Amino acid sequence: MSDLKITGLHKHYGTYHAVKGIDLEVPSGEFTVLVGPSGCGKSTLLRTIAGLEEASAGTVEIGGKDVTWARPRDRDIAMVFQNYALYPYLNVYENIAFGLRARRVASAEVDRRVKRAADMLGISQLLERFPRELSGGQRQRVAIGRAIVRDALLFLFDEPLSNLDAQLRDDMRIEIKRLHQELGRTMIYVTHDQIEAMTLADRIALLRDGKIEQLGTPLDLFERPATRFVAGFLGSPKMNFLPATIEAGQVALRDGTRLTLPPGRSAPDGQAVLGLRPQHIAKAGASAAPGHVQTQSIIELVQPTGSRVQVSMPLGGISITAEFAAHEVTMPGEQVRIDIDMTRAVLIDPQTDKVI
Amino acid sequence: MGYQAHGAGKMTGVPFHRRAETKLALRYLTALLLVVIFVFPIYWLFAISFKTPGEIFAFPPVWYPKSIQFNNYAVLFKDGDAKTVGNSLVLASVSTFFAMIFGTAAAYSLARFKTGGENLAVWIISQRMMPPVAIAFPIFLLYVWLGWVDTYIGLIILYTAFGLPYVIWMMRGYIEDIPLELEESALIDGCSRWEVLWKVVFPMARSGLFATAVFTFVFSWNDFLFALVLTRTEVITYTVQVTHYFGGQSNFWSKIAAMSVLGTIPVFITVATLQRYLVRGISMGAVKG
Amino acid sequence: MAAIVHPDRNFKYWLISPAIFLLLLIGLFPLIFSLVVSFMRVTMLETDTSFAGFVNFVQLFRDGRLWQSLAHTVLIMVVALPIELLLGLAMAYLFLDRMPGRQILVSLLMLPTIISPIVAGATWRLLLDNRYGPINQIIGWFAGHPVPALWTVNPTLVYPAIIFCEIWQWTPFMFLILLAALSNVDRSLTEAAEIDGARFWRSFRYVVLPAIFPVMSVAILIRGLDLFRIFDIIWALTTGGPGTMTETISVYTYVQGFKQFETSYTAAIAFLVIALLTVVVTWAIRRMGLAK
Repeated sequence: MSDLKITGLHKHYGTYHAVKGIDLEVPSGEFTVLVGPSGCGKSTLLRTIAGLEEASAGTVEIGGKDVTWARPRDRDIAMVFQNYALYPYLNVYENIAFGLRARRVASAEVDRRVKRAADMLGISQLLERFPRELSGGQRQRVAIGRAIVRDALLFLFDEPLSNLDAQLRDDMRIEIKRLHQELGRTMIYVTHDQIEAMTLADRIALLRDGKIEQLGTPLDLFERPATRFVAGFLGSPKMNFLPATIEAGQVALRDGTRLTLPPGRSAPDGQAVLGLRPQHIAKAGASAAPGHVQTQSIIELVQPTGSRVQVSMPLGGISITAEFAAHEVTMPGEQVRIDIDMTRAVLIDPQTDKVI
Repeated sequence: MGYQAHGAGKMTGVPFHRRAETKLALRYLTALLLVVIFVFPIYWLFAISFKTPGEIFAFPPVWYPKSIQFNNYAVLFKDGDAKTVGNSLVLASVSTFFAMIFGTAAAYSLARFKTGGENLAVWIISQRMMPPVAIAFPIFLLYVWLGWVDTYIGLIILYTAFGLPYVIWMMRGYIEDIPLELEESALIDGCSRWEVLWKVVFPMARSGLFATAVFTFVFSWNDFLFALVLTRTEVITYTVQVTHYFGGQSNFWSKIAAMSVLGTIPVFITVATLQRYLVRGISMGAVKG
Repeated sequence: MAAIVHPDRNFKYWLISPAIFLLLLIGLFPLIFSLVVSFMRVTMLETDTSFAGFVNFVQLFRDGRLWQSLAHTVLIMVVALPIELLLGLAMAYLFLDRMPGRQILVSLLMLPTIISPIVAGATWRLLLDNRYGPINQIIGWFAGHPVPALWTVNPTLVYPAIIFCEIWQWTPFMFLILLAALSNVDRSLTEAAEIDGARFWRSFRYVVLPAIFPVMSVAILIRGLDLFRIFDIIWALTTGGPGTMTETISVYTYVQGFKQFETSYTAAIAFLVIALLTVVVTWAIRRMGLAK
């Protein structure tokens, strides 16, 4: 039985159609990430699941029960907010216990559960403190503590790490992943950050403009994107898109470069867009492996990022980015021979933006 | 000695460059002068209340009483006139209490649910600006018919109603300042809507509630027209009582002053405790001071 | 879509209903009641509740004393408001920068505004007394000889008296609001203007004024309406006198209703005043976006 099932969900704000017919089924224990650019409707979708917004059409089922019209507190959910939503006038202990007290749980039980949650998150020593005395990361843990203490069926996260600085975000990401493994609960997680999506999700729902563009495992979306949007959204640095024409098993770029499609890969003749990830463009070795093609270019820009280097160069009439290893140092103006892994290339129909 | 800078990022005034010291001295002198001018009448009022009749009616005027004597106040208490301050207290407190309850509830409805849309909000705010005399007249006729003239309940209901627009407007602002997530989180955690009001909104808006209550109290406390129109002999407020001493005879001056002071000190004390909210309170939220 | 509705749908209506009920009492009832009564002939002598047409409204237009009271009101508004505004602004600039004891000084300046207007009027009545009041004494110092000016009786002095009292009480109001508004103006704007070569007036007119305009408008609206309704100060100082020289619209309405008992006529005045003010105020509130 799926813990969450959404059917035909629509949400209007006056004339603005925020969610345009979403179907989603999340099996028990799965970590599903809703990701997409701003305004894609992911937060609206989450809030509708939570009951903080009323659906305009469609149904929401949690744990097999139709909760479309139920109050948030009757949906057996817990939620972690972006801004933590801690009560400044209560100490950490009371913040975590808030929901339990609202449901009239006995004090002894409250105490047991709060201490257990605090232990799990490593904040037991902060129980007497007040939110204003805590750091960002500590506050986030308290917010998570408040959610897990209720033992709900479904856990919702609304961009919980967006307010933390980069270093802290990495640490908290690991915490959340670990939490999911320990608790095994179904979790729905909203973020705009594709790295969080890739690292945390069992499955990703990439949203665009109120609809699910593609639903699948992180690897699915990364290796086999359904559309240009999906291909361009995931992966950093972004995938390169080169306008091209397919002629007889070869991809002809605007500047005349011809790249042979690997055996087993076929595509109809005609206009296409070639998608190449920077990680699949390397500095050429002695010879090309099967399915790889080599060609020339001149370095424009070099951006070191620690262990890798992002290198910009012209190809096919546009400026593309390749990712070399740090020791393969190149200078702007240098001629360079690159090796393109055509087995990982993606071909897109320019009319439909779908992947061929 | 450098130019004293104002808070970071905020405007500091005239961008001239003169010697900082003389400028400051000049400003300070002017400021003191202004304060003297504005406070003098109040000082005079207080002074008269402590003077003997001989000192009050002295020509040239006596600038300060030789000794502070409370005779004028004693007279008021003896004659029972001081009871009017008690009346004002009852009327203002009870009406403020109800105005705060009904007004804050309404403010929450407006703030979180936009009940009635902009039209309702505009109408409610406009009620604050209606001329009291035009309202008082029909209300008076109604009260005559109801038998509510010169009763506590009559004025309490009126003061409550008249205080509502202000309370609603101010509390709406304070409630909107509360992060919505706190309420949403409580809803998810198991609170009913009423529990959210009590457990989240009330604690978070506590200082705003307090400030609004005090200002509403002061407005009712200082009212004259409604009290004049709707009371006769039983429920006189201190404001009306002061005017009773106007009747031509100068020897009531001491009573005017003493009564005024009795009615003014409570206000001074309560507002003094509220320095922080003063600007927001009197500008009706126009400035978040 | 399902016919089931959200369980908390009526919560917002329950919350707001007591307030709405009371507001209708002072908002809608006076309007309707006045209108109804204004179509009758109810006075001190007779209670004729039959429909009398527009007779009261016609009388309104013919009533010279009414229009005079309006003129008096407008006079006070037009003189007091600009003075309060400019004086308040000047004072705000004076107190804008830090100075020792600023907080205490500003608090002291607040005192006139928080006392009851009737007390303010009474205070000035005592101050302006022709024999025993300190004001005349001070004027006498400057003049070199006693000046027993009859501020509350002398036709040329009554309006200055009223206006002085009014300005004394309410300039601090403007001052406080403008001080807060000026403090909130982003310093980088005026600094940029200064670098660009703007001197004080230019900077004020093009940078500061637009920034404080919204707040200033609200303050002007509140004060303007308060001045229109002015009653307490007049009542304390002159009771509308001498004769009807300082009768404002509020005073006149009060006299008609509670001294002459011209009930229907007063109802007509009340109705018109409420109706007109509602239109003006509603327009102003919408224009300033105060309800958003």
